[in-house]
Amino acid sequence: MTDGTATTPGLTRRRVLALAALAPVVAACTAAGTDDGGPDPLPALADAARADAALAAAALTADPTLTGRLEPLRAARAEHAAALDVALGAPPAPAAAAPAAGGDLAAVRVAVQASAAAAAAAVPDLPGERVGLVASIAACCATYAELLT
Amino acid sequence: MSSARPRQVPVIEDAALAALQDTLAAEHAALWSYGLAVAFLPEDLADEARADAAAHARLRAAVEQTLTDLGRRPVSALPAYATPFPVEDADAAARLAVVAESDALVSWRAVLERTADRTLREAALDALTGTTLRSARWRERTGERPAVPTFPGRP
Repeated sequence: MTDGTATTPGLTRRRVLALAALAPVVAACTAAGTDDGGPDPLPALADAARADAALAAAALTADPTLTGRLEPLRAARAEHAAALDVALGAPPAPAAAAPAAGGDLAAVRVAVQASAAAAAAAVPDLPGERVGLVASIAACCATYAELLT
Repeated sequence: MSSARPRQVPVIEDAALAALQDTLAAEHAALWSYGLAVAFLPEDLADEARADAAAHARLRAAVEQTLTDLGRRPVSALPAYATPFPVEDADAAARLAVVAESDALVSWRAVLERTADRTLREAALDALTGTTLRSARWRERTGERPAVPTFPGRP
């Protein structure tokens, strides 16, 4: 413990290995994480939430039999966008315009899976007051992606 | 002016260690809850409950090992837990699983919010994600909507 006041990464890495072994998939995703001083990931995550909501809305307009599966996802992604706007101190943005085409179940699943990965990639580097929100969004999106498979 | 802290004091924040202990307590309670739930669930759901209990057992072992490696004594399980409602049939058993998963979600999110350690955050996010999926499946069965929690672990 000579100069380890701030970080001693080697020690830390070894010492959380028991837990880290549970997270191979997440660990593999973090190569895409933002570096210190990189752009704030929250605006892009909010835009992705609005885009997912619009895509889900288009899909269930095209096929109303999907309402039971996609309406909760659409509502959740709209709530995610609103919560991210609050965290950013931004005024609520309007809902994204519906995409011209491509709104089906598979497209929604792919989109929400990508959103889960993007949110997960931001988790390691976010400040403490934001990480809980983004982690919850990542877990929610990953679960919708899994349940739509 | 050196403190009385031992030489190998870890870098994980005290608040994160306390959150990990809370998580361990939640995992103990989840395992106990599934043990009770299995007795009341029909066979197909009992199999799911056993699989979910196994996932919690893996999380519990990892948290215990991590705390031990960090020089902390992991909290022990209680002999029994008070359920928030009587558990005497399959419906209540499924609702107990929802409660167990919800409590685990809150504790894992608290770990994430209390550490800056990337490895611990990644592990906690993985636990939060797996717990969200289990939570969603039990909420689907108990009729809670939305089945998938929108902000898993938000207190």
